[in-house]
Amino acid sequence: MPDTARLLPLAVAVPLLGSVLLAVAGHRLPRLGTDVLAAFCAAASLGCLVLLWVRTGDGRAVSWVGGWGPPGGAPARGAQSVGIVLVADRLGLGLALLAAALVLAVVAYAWRYFEEPVGGHAGVFPALLLLFHAGMCGFALTGDLFDAFVFFELMGACAYALTGYRIEDPRPLHGALTFGIVNSLAAYASLLGIGLLYARTGQLGLAQLGQALDTRPPDLLVVCAFVLVLAGPLVKAAAAPFHFWLPDAHAVAPSPVCMLLSGVMVELGVYGVARIYWVVFAGPGGIPHPAFRSVLLVLGTLTALLGAVMCWQQRHLKRLLAFSTVGHVGLFLVGVALLDPAALAGTAVYVASHAGAKAALFGLCGLLLDRYGSVDEHGLHGRARELVLPGLLFAVGGFALAGLPPFGTGLGKALGEEAAGRQLPFLLPALYVLVSAVTGGAVLRAALRVFAGAGPAPVDRPGEPETSGEGEEPEVRGPGRRLPVPLVAVPAVLLLCSLLVGCVPAVGARLAEAARLFTDRAGYLAAAYQAPPAPAAPVPPAGWTAAGVLLGLLSAALATGLALLAVHPLHRGLGAALNRRLVLPLRRLHSGLLGDYVTWLVVGLAGLLVAFAAQR
Amino acid sequence: MSRRARLLLLAAAGLVVAGFFAAACLRLPAFGAAVHPYGERAVAAALGQRTANTVSSVNFDQRAFDTLGEESILYASVLSAVLLLRLARDERKHEPRPAPVLPSTRLFGAVLLPVTLLTGGYVVAHGQLSPGGGFQGGVVLASGLHLAYVAADYRALGRVRPLAVLDVADALAAGAFSVLGLVGLVAGAAFLQNTLPLGTFNTLASGGLVPVVNAVVGVEVASGVIVLLAQFLDQAVEVVER
Repeated sequence: MPDTARLLPLAVAVPLLGSVLLAVAGHRLPRLGTDVLAAFCAAASLGCLVLLWVRTGDGRAVSWVGGWGPPGGAPARGAQSVGIVLVADRLGLGLALLAAALVLAVVAYAWRYFEEPVGGHAGVFPALLLLFHAGMCGFALTGDLFDAFVFFELMGACAYALTGYRIEDPRPLHGALTFGIVNSLAAYASLLGIGLLYARTGQLGLAQLGQALDTRPPDLLVVCAFVLVLAGPLVKAAAAPFHFWLPDAHAVAPSPVCMLLSGVMVELGVYGVARIYWVVFAGPGGIPHPAFRSVLLVLGTLTALLGAVMCWQQRHLKRLLAFSTVGHVGLFLVGVALLDPAALAGTAVYVASHAGAKAALFGLCGLLLDRYGSVDEHGLHGRARELVLPGLLFAVGGFALAGLPPFGTGLGKALGEEAAGRQLPFLLPALYVLVSAVTGGAVLRAALRVFAGAGPAPVDRPGEPETSGEGEEPEVRGPGRRLPVPLVAVPAVLLLCSLLVGCVPAVGARLAEAARLFTDRAGYLAAAYQAPPAPAAPVPPAGWTAAGVLLGLLSAALATGLALLAVHPLHRGLGAALNRRLVLPLRRLHSGLLGDYVTWLVVGLAGLLVAFAAQR
Repeated sequence: MSRRARLLLLAAAGLVVAGFFAAACLRLPAFGAAVHPYGERAVAAALGQRTANTVSSVNFDQRAFDTLGEESILYASVLSAVLLLRLARDERKHEPRPAPVLPSTRLFGAVLLPVTLLTGGYVVAHGQLSPGGGFQGGVVLASGLHLAYVAADYRALGRVRPLAVLDVADALAAGAFSVLGLVGLVAGAAFLQNTLPLGTFNTLASGGLVPVVNAVVGVEVASGVIVLLAQFLDQAVEVVER
């Protein structure tokens, strides 16, 4: 069997071939055949990635595609290569693996989910899912900036179409269009940035670029290129003020697609920011560490607070979950901004576990949509009492989001809090606790109202900009049928995985190793040139601590308290002035108008340019 | 945000971004410099692979993995168009009526259709030798076919456009690129490595894997663009609301 490094391109090739198989054979097979074939292709892709994960171990696997390595194989001449290099380590492979697991979950969930839809086009939906997966794998594994851009666009092209899947309703098309245009504009900015770097250095490889930049002191070109290149990943990651597309797209995309968008695609944006900074710009010729740290901390904090506040305000359940993703992405950005292996390890654990919890919650929203044709917290008040198990799962998902130990989200949050507390005591740990409590609390509030009918029926607030979840097109016809098993089983399994991430110490330990490797810039540069890796820093701790458990319990308790307070009749009138002064204007900003969103994109870029140029 | 506020904000922020970008561009290497680090290496590598067209050597050999991704984007776009422009529940198809066409226009189409297809085929086939290749030639082929629509009518286009076949050809060509990559792995080399005999420089059979990948891309682009346009044309010409 060839060595692991040479097999790396299979991570992209296997899902690509699977999608071709589905596109050709999909509509020639009966429904069951297409579903089995899709499951088989997703499982094959997952198996391939597991093999790569096991064989790569705690090191890096480096593969020059097409055999275009340094001339003569001499590591020192790596900058002379004309080819593309793939560099896999545990964080990149882990994200690819997470994507594969979620794709398999989505295929299983959608087994009986969609009505016999697309006439002669059965198989196109799973084919696009697999292409989406191929794009995510390519983006996670590549060690080349332009190649990353190509796979980033592949992800985008598939995600836009999957978002607009339900064509009978104008809303999904609007959401997909907003998603597509905002993300494409950001991608053009990235391409401009890549052009600047390429013109300066004649290199496209991340390691080669990093090395070439380090030969001279940074100037305005480097700052400008850095901000432009980061525009794409930051928009995909939905950092404020680039986040506007996300709730609009998540609210209208089919629930199984939301599982992928929120579970892993948005997090890949954060990964892109971290990878590009660490390899290309973290050296003496790039952006100084304090500048990156301060700007990204502000950005992350802003995103986290905005996500939490907006999440609490939603009654459309999918929008609520979308804003909770924005809140958590803010925390992930904070974890990356600290430039600390321990914080990164925490973020990795957090991302892995958050994906399970969030995907499960979106899956349960799909179930509500299937039963009642609505995802409106107010309209569904008490209507879902009959769904006992899904209700329990929904509440468990809320606790998972709140970071209740021993969920992996709790472990990731605890590790992040500890590392953040070392740099900015009290304030940053408080941010973690607050954001997880509010987002978890919002989910618990919805669970209490929808599945238990707690509290008085909420009244509409006239004059406020609201998106109700009423009148949604059910994604399935015939709500009279029996509850399909996968609609409950898949969320249950996902929640279990989210729990296991926190309970199995090996997961945290592996991800801690991965974080140490990720932040070892010299090692990455050396590895891309096929030289022996440099000695690395100590492995950060990745286990539970008493403080972590206590803070996790605190968030969960706060979340419960908030949820109970919200459904209690007493709270009415409380904080109404605050709501009018602060929250209403914020909600009005989320206007749904594409022109506004593009304006915020440009404003954000201008802000980042000024912030980084000022700290040069 | 009001229209005016939005415009002002956009203009102010846009000016800042434009200013920074202009300042960055002033710090680029001067235009027309004698050396370029990547260009020199890529030309040497292309000559080493006996590929006369360096751009094709970069596209289909040196950075073929990028092209695999780009071609997959086109393939994904075709699938997306098929998915999003499918017949909705409240739509039905109606047979388009024949349209009156001037005889001179019809003659123009009948003469130019084969010429355009031949040109497209030439551009694809000589991708490894002269400017052009699978992407460019594929687009020429696809748009040439639509002369049948321009010079005759929609039903004539339907007769020269075997959609079911092209649909499969598009998918298979997209898959063939990955399979060609796997050939390298099976041969004991790297994914997408150029392991075929390199042939004689500046002849049709030169460049090893380059003409093969080039041809596959040509098929994919030509059939893909036709299927893509067909979705939009169907929507405009045939589909009406119930």
